[in-house]
Amino acid sequence: MIEIASLSKRYGRHLAVDEISFEVAKGEVVGFLGPNGAGKSTTLKMLTGFLPPTAGAARIGGYDIFRESLEVRKHIGYMPENVPLYTEMRVKEYLKFRGALRGMKGSHLRTRMGEVMETAGLTHVRRKMIKTLSKGYRQRVGLADALIHEPDLLILDEPTNGLDPNQIRAIRSLIQRLGEKHTILLSTHILSEVEMTCNKVVIIDEGKVKAADTPANLIKNMRRAGRITVEMKISAEEGETMLANLENVKKVTSKPLRDDWNRFAVFVEPKTDTRLRISNLAREKNWPLRSLMRKSATLEEVFVELTRKD
Amino acid sequence: MRIFRTLFFKELKSYFLSPFGWLIIAFAALMQGLSLSTTIKGFMDVPRTESLVYVVFQAPTFWFYFLFLFPVLTMRLFSEENRSGTLEGLLTAPVKTWQVVLSKYSAAYVTYLLLWIPAIIHFKLFTTLTSVPPPFTSAEIYGALLIIALMGALFIAIGCLASCLTSSQIIAGVLCIGLLFVHFLLGLVTYFWGDQIAAAPLFHFISSREHLDLFTRGLIDTRSIVYYLTMTGFVLILTHHLLDFRRWKP
Repeated sequence: MIEIASLSKRYGRHLAVDEISFEVAKGEVVGFLGPNGAGKSTTLKMLTGFLPPTAGAARIGGYDIFRESLEVRKHIGYMPENVPLYTEMRVKEYLKFRGALRGMKGSHLRTRMGEVMETAGLTHVRRKMIKTLSKGYRQRVGLADALIHEPDLLILDEPTNGLDPNQIRAIRSLIQRLGEKHTILLSTHILSEVEMTCNKVVIIDEGKVKAADTPANLIKNMRRAGRITVEMKISAEEGETMLANLENVKKVTSKPLRDDWNRFAVFVEPKTDTRLRISNLAREKNWPLRSLMRKSATLEEVFVELTRKD
Repeated sequence: MRIFRTLFFKELKSYFLSPFGWLIIAFAALMQGLSLSTTIKGFMDVPRTESLVYVVFQAPTFWFYFLFLFPVLTMRLFSEENRSGTLEGLLTAPVKTWQVVLSKYSAAYVTYLLLWIPAIIHFKLFTTLTSVPPPFTSAEIYGALLIIALMGALFIAIGCLASCLTSSQIIAGVLCIGLLFVHFLLGLVTYFWGDQIAAAPLFHFISSREHLDLFTRGLIDTRSIVYYLTMTGFVLILTHHLLDFRRWKP
């Protein structure tokens, strides 16, 4: 659906997007992640034909984004960041206008308007002026607008930005439902959202692709994935030295808890399991042990690991 | 064509589904009425050989309110969409840039033409309400309306260009009035410095004041028509390229 080949964008001296390449297959829901200013929005703007790339190329549905921009634009539904809308229009009027711009008319346009308003939960506010709507509803209007012409590809730039938790939930479940039928590329920095909705993640930072894989694979390959926490009633020095001597252990830190127990964090090599060795050690030494668990990494940790600056 | 129509009516609605368009019409009607009534008063004091139409458009108040119509009509067109970001939604829909430019221009131009309906009514009223024979001929009326339409075509285009250059309505308005004022002053060069300078014919050629003078006498000069139409085309092409430049700049 999307093929991006070393796409770059330069604003004056600043290189916003630096030769990124990735692909999105038909039917995939892809989360496009990165810290603020990483080049997410710029990439999406280039894909939708709003900004020209400085170098490189990309194709959407087989059409070149630069040379066949009009064809590309027919096949995508784009929701820009912050969802700019004509606020003096009414919801229904706006959708009708946007549908007509995509060349829809008559009963086809009317049915589609009804359908997208139903999908986005806008039916009861269809006569309201957009400027009187809350942010959550505006977001839905933007989504309905992106959907109205049944595009093959949905490009959503931070669809849940600035919403309250309930609204985020509603939009997320909407995206999940849409993902069954559409190819979706959505940018966000809310990671739980990506874990729940996306079957592929592309992480970019400072204009470069840092990782592109399924969320599960990303987590599996994480260094942090090998972290075990143990709570034992022994002195910190004894625990740290003894645990550090075990096989595959890289580092041990400890933290005293309020009752004279200690919590040890044991960092181990990836793809190893040291839990059994720790429990054996504790039994041998007769250490009181009340908790032993491997901390499973989250996408958040993957994200921080890949994009932190220190 | 359907997309152009959709865009055009959307723009036209934004003038007339808000108080905005009606306020400009009211303002224009008021100023036109003032010009007419002061002219009629003048006619009562001193008899004149020129027609009523001619004197109305020569009134000093004319240029004052006329030039201000354009920034008010056009400053919003592109700058507002640019500021609120709706331009992004508009230009990522499958529409061509010329459709956007031409629809906005046409909507502003149609609104501008509507502003002159009160003026026509004023002159009609004069002939129906008074027993005196009309102090003007239809040639002068048609000439005046033609030059108003021609100047409007160019000046609205200049307003579009100014609006396209910035995302601030105020700056767009100031830029528009500035450009129009410079154009107006260039037409006055020969008035101040006389005809001795080598470029005098050029200044005569572009002087809107002189065009107005000729046309309101009922003298229709095809050179002026060609001048306004080509300049309008040129400025619109410039606007189109400015808007499209965003898509091309590396």
